Amino acid sequence: MKIRARLPRLVAGGATLALALSLSACGSGTGGGSSDDGKIHVLVYGDASNKVEKQIVATFNKTSDVKAVLDTIPGADYQQKLQTIINTPQAPDVFFNWGGGSIQPFVKADLLLPLDDFIKNDPGLKSNFLPSVFNSAVVDGKAYGIPMRGTQPVLLFNNSSVLNDAGVQPPKTWDELLSAVKTLKGKGVTPIALGGGDQWPTLMWFEYVYDRVAGPELFEKALGGDKSAWESPESKKALSMLKELVDAGAFGTNFDSVKYTNGASPALVAKGKAAFELMGSWYYAQQQQDAKDFAAKGLGYTTFPSVSGGKGDEADVVGNTNNFYSVLKKTKHPEAVEKFLKLMYSDEFVKAQMAIGNLPTTTNTEKFLDTSASPAYSHFQYDLVKKAPSFQLSWDQAYPPSAITPIHQAVQQFFNGQVDADGFIKAMQALPTE
Amino acid sequence: MTTETTSAPPAAGSRTPARRRSEGSYTAHVGRPGFAWAVPATLFFLIFAIAPLVMVAVLSFMSWNGLGSPRFVGMDNWSRVLDDPVMIKSIWLTLLVTVLGVAIQTPLSILLGVWAAGQQRNRAVLSVIYFIPLLLSSTAVSVLWRALLDPNFGIPAQATWLFGDGNLFGKQASAIGVLAFVSTWQFTPFHTLIYQGAARAIPQVLYQAAEIDGAGRYRQFFHITLPQLRNSVVTSMILMIVGGLTTFETVLILTQGGPGTDTTISAYYMYQKAFKSFDFGAGAAIALVLVVAATIISLIVVRVSGYDKMRSSMEGLS
Repeated sequence: MKIRARLPRLVAGGATLALALSLSACGSGTGGGSSDDGKIHVLVYGDASNKVEKQIVATFNKTSDVKAVLDTIPGADYQQKLQTIINTPQAPDVFFNWGGGSIQPFVKADLLLPLDDFIKNDPGLKSNFLPSVFNSAVVDGKAYGIPMRGTQPVLLFNNSSVLNDAGVQPPKTWDELLSAVKTLKGKGVTPIALGGGDQWPTLMWFEYVYDRVAGPELFEKALGGDKSAWESPESKKALSMLKELVDAGAFGTNFDSVKYTNGASPALVAKGKAAFELMGSWYYAQQQQDAKDFAAKGLGYTTFPSVSGGKGDEADVVGNTNNFYSVLKKTKHPEAVEKFLKLMYSDEFVKAQMAIGNLPTTTNTEKFLDTSASPAYSHFQYDLVKKAPSFQLSWDQAYPPSAITPIHQAVQQFFNGQVDADGFIKAMQALPTE
Repeated sequence: MTTETTSAPPAAGSRTPARRRSEGSYTAHVGRPGFAWAVPATLFFLIFAIAPLVMVAVLSFMSWNGLGSPRFVGMDNWSRVLDDPVMIKSIWLTLLVTVLGVAIQTPLSILLGVWAAGQQRNRAVLSVIYFIPLLLSSTAVSVLWRALLDPNFGIPAQATWLFGDGNLFGKQASAIGVLAFVSTWQFTPFHTLIYQGAARAIPQVLYQAAEIDGAGRYRQFFHITLPQLRNSVVTSMILMIVGGLTTFETVLILTQGGPGTDTTISAYYMYQKAFKSFDFGAGAAIALVLVVAATIISLIVVRVSGYDKMRSSMEGLS
């Protein structure tokens, strides 16, 4: 579930780094085709969800002449390792990714197979998935990915007993949020927990406020290369609202020292020291694991508040749309791959994903929502994603990987006052868009 | 090969040619091994140190994102890296972290090492406790301190009179302070070990003579112990400097270079460029800057300290 929790375990001093650089240099150049041992290799991010991927591969192998092999890369340095092997003879046929910017460099390097032909053979490869999710793996008008895990929209979580004590309702509008912040602060509670030390939790606030104020178009424009979008009046309005929220003390003063990934910010909410936290839907499972009682009795969740006069629809969602399988152009067995991908909307796949707490984004998921471990939560999320006019992929995943660090630095510096609105706009305009 | 051809002919007037001859044969067989002896180590060094270094140097003139073939871009990476304000800042930060490390750890580890070299009661037990951080991996140490320094659930929450709101990682000065503190906690035991060994090797007669001359403990420390430890100080300082210049895991786990770029030291910046942004050319250029800087600094230390002459510290004894 913690796909966002990137805690690279890479331990490298100067010398080993030099070594690594040159070793990876050795691996390149030759190019070559996918290893052809008469099988298709499926490469996935190694974590608890592999259980389902193993099961699906086993199902596939029961009927297929061309067998599939599941390879996993454990831990957080998936993207680095993928980048290193994808242009070598060791490259897989099918691989896990986050859609958007995570596959854009591969598309530009002409390594990926557009799935249009597969979809022509079987329209179900597109129509059986929720469009807002499917679209985040579309690059330059062509489909490159099939959703293969669960969706992870960002929600506003709360501690309902803290809200009751303060006499505060979960906010439906931005103004209600601001007044809730004021009331909660008066009660001596940190209004909103924020794992600013990880930087990406801060980014989630930008994604939602920009959407609500300017609609999804502003970001799409900026991502498409029109950098003037960042200095538009809407962009400045969104920044001033965020600034107002920070200055109102919504996040306390020490949020940059708090992390989500080591369990500190969820503990603030679970222990009643903070009232709200904006986080991906995996938060629910995280709280169930860390604070079982609280997750069962006190954990509330709502959508992000609306902004009056804003261009964005209040039903818009941001977050991780899903993970995707993409196919390498040089695969020797496209027919087998196509058959394999069809399993991603099978009933078996949906049931298996639901059983481990993931929420798939196929149209037949609806039938199985009541079988989930927490049906109310699954219904809420599924309806949210299904009805969302726009599901914005997280900015740090929509942009190519080279933009991730600058984005994270910019949002952190804006929240802690190291840069002002103009500095933030400049930083975003300097991002590489391809 | 005969003895006569390898050793110098007996000096004119020497009275003991026979003895000289036997000395010469001793030298010929054991003193200077041929080049063949060095082949394994040289090969190893070439393959795992020099070759990658050369490749990194070549890569620093190329544009490469890990996909496709690297492309020569001339000085492009270099002009970008050397013009980059974050890079300039990272060099200063690296130097600051290194200097802080040396300045804090050297006196601490000398005192601890000299103390641990003694014969006091409970010394062995306490020494073992001091050495525990040495047994932990840097990653584990960093994760541990990150949790201990959490503003709401860690030490700062219990000592607000000292830490205020506990925003240690949100300000540059305190974030650097944490980095210096954690590396001190982790590496002081190692340097203590160096000084303990060196202090044990100081001949007791020096202290006995000093005592007869009426020197107190402080004078003994400053006039015997410290001068005798000189070579160890240089060894330990070079290790600290190299360690400081390549500090990486602590930054990766404790601060991730933040707030903003306030603790982005060069080694971490290289990692960001190469492995986060897949700009391997720029990463290679930063790596080379680090290699050159580390080499120059070590050379200066060796020169200034006279370490290269390797004078014995047993002056006045033989």
